Amino acid sequence: MTRRLPLFLTIGIWVLLLLAPLALDDWRISQLAQFLTYGLFALSLAFIWGQAGILCFGQAIFFGIGAYLMALITLGKLPLLGESQWTGIILGAVGGGVGAFGLALFMLGGRGLSGAHLAIVTLCAAVVAEVAAQRWDFIGGFNGLLGVPPLVAPYTRDDMFLSSNETYFLVLAIVMAVYLLLLLISRSSFGTLLAAIRSNENRTRYFGFDVTVAKLFAFSLAGMISGLAGALFTAQFGFVSPPLVGFGLSTEVLIWVAVGGREVLLAAFVGAIFVRWVENLLSDKLGQYWLLAMGLMFIFVVILAPRGLFGRILNLSKSR
Amino acid sequence: METTPQILEVKEVTMRFGGIVALDGLNLSLRAGELRCILGPNGCGKTTLFNVLTGALRPTSGTVSFQGAMISGKSPAAIARLGISRKFQVPGIYPELSVIENIALPLAAANRHPGVWSLLRQRPDRARIAELMGFAGLSQKGHVTAAELSHGEKQKLEVMMLLATDADLLLLDEPTAGMSKGETSAIAALIRKLTSELGKTVLVIEHDMNFVRELDCPVTVMARGTVIADGSYDEVRHDPRVIECYLGRAA
Repeated sequence: MTRRLPLFLTIGIWVLLLLAPLALDDWRISQLAQFLTYGLFALSLAFIWGQAGILCFGQAIFFGIGAYLMALITLGKLPLLGESQWTGIILGAVGGGVGAFGLALFMLGGRGLSGAHLAIVTLCAAVVAEVAAQRWDFIGGFNGLLGVPPLVAPYTRDDMFLSSNETYFLVLAIVMAVYLLLLLISRSSFGTLLAAIRSNENRTRYFGFDVTVAKLFAFSLAGMISGLAGALFTAQFGFVSPPLVGFGLSTEVLIWVAVGGREVLLAAFVGAIFVRWVENLLSDKLGQYWLLAMGLMFIFVVILAPRGLFGRILNLSKSR
Repeated sequence: METTPQILEVKEVTMRFGGIVALDGLNLSLRAGELRCILGPNGCGKTTLFNVLTGALRPTSGTVSFQGAMISGKSPAAIARLGISRKFQVPGIYPELSVIENIALPLAAANRHPGVWSLLRQRPDRARIAELMGFAGLSQKGHVTAAELSHGEKQKLEVMMLLATDADLLLLDEPTAGMSKGETSAIAALIRKLTSELGKTVLVIEHDMNFVRELDCPVTVMARGTVIADGSYDEVRHDPRVIECYLGRAA
């Protein structure tokens, strides 16, 4: 079933995010902008997992491709492409999409993989990608690439670097645009096709749909969004390292989406922000025991609210 | 009587699974607008025939042509795009989706070229969905998930999904399986309407003799992978080969 949040909650969440700079100081706003990037990453996984039923254990590969491309371009390691951050953001998204398309073509070509088999291949791909990144000196090997410049203004002015609020609003605008795009797609006939593939893939072929092409498109689009999130991440954190393409981050994003609720795009997005916020809070309060507390929380959420914490709390409207 | 053009022709089709011969040089033809029932005991090859017609299986030998084009060996999606739609024995519906969404999906395939770009631009045709729900008596259940429907309603829903594709040939595999007598009569009436009111060509697989009688259409009887009798319900009922097939030979 295609689920959605009640309209007032959807609008309420975006209004809260738009007004956040009025209530938060510079440091908190920078932190929230980083969380938005994770939320964008979670949206990409929610799109293929929640809408099309493709469980991917390697979503960080595409996030990492975007992150590394952004770093390589802005650090001038790919001179033919210039050093513009905007080029980095665009090529980060394109690179994520191309990477996802290549992996999907390999997995879905021929008789095609699905379900657990596909999940296992993506998991292995994430491990391979992380090891490859560790060994590749051009992209910094184990240490990764440091000193990536923060986002700058697109026009000449005294202080070229964007302020915390400007960075926040830029990231928020990108996240809102991507959310609207995914929402429109999920409400089109193509969205219904993805839901049908999730529900009964083989039956869908007998209506004349090319299921492989549909999954390839969805997977590539999700890869593009992950790459975009990775590029924005690098500009905010100033570095990129092999764990960003690996199994660890791929698993983390799965947890964010599962906790939020994979069936609703916005629930997955809020889930990512919520988990990152709780992680920060717990690491401050509990020191080394914060991971233990997080682990217990995930177990309880999955058992008590298998459709996600926000799916449960917000009492999702039934269907469109 | 006016003769309509031939829409489907199955010529000498054989389907082997190792040493087992599921279809044995089977011949069958259908005319446009015809309603025909294929009758036969379990294991006689009825569903295998549907699997060959819809591209789930490639026949070992023989050919299938639809509207003059050879379709044997094509994929299920390619065959569906040519205008053949199939109803499965266990209703092939989407249990998690609403009745409206279940109908909206095949409706999106009605133009026979359901590519990604055309689907991205399409919005469901609400009027046509309402019309189809009304035809099946499901008007009040549009927002109910398909999993919540009764078995009979699920069967009707799947027939409406086939109609939504605007296919020329509808293949119905045991549309009354697991139904009560009342539900069976309602389905029989619905299937007759498909040809009489909508002009569809319909091929039905069945082994319930009462349902076949209610359909009141030409019957083809299969046994051991081949056709053993052809005619009206009353003709095949008295055919000694059919009686032998169902009741066995006298000792």
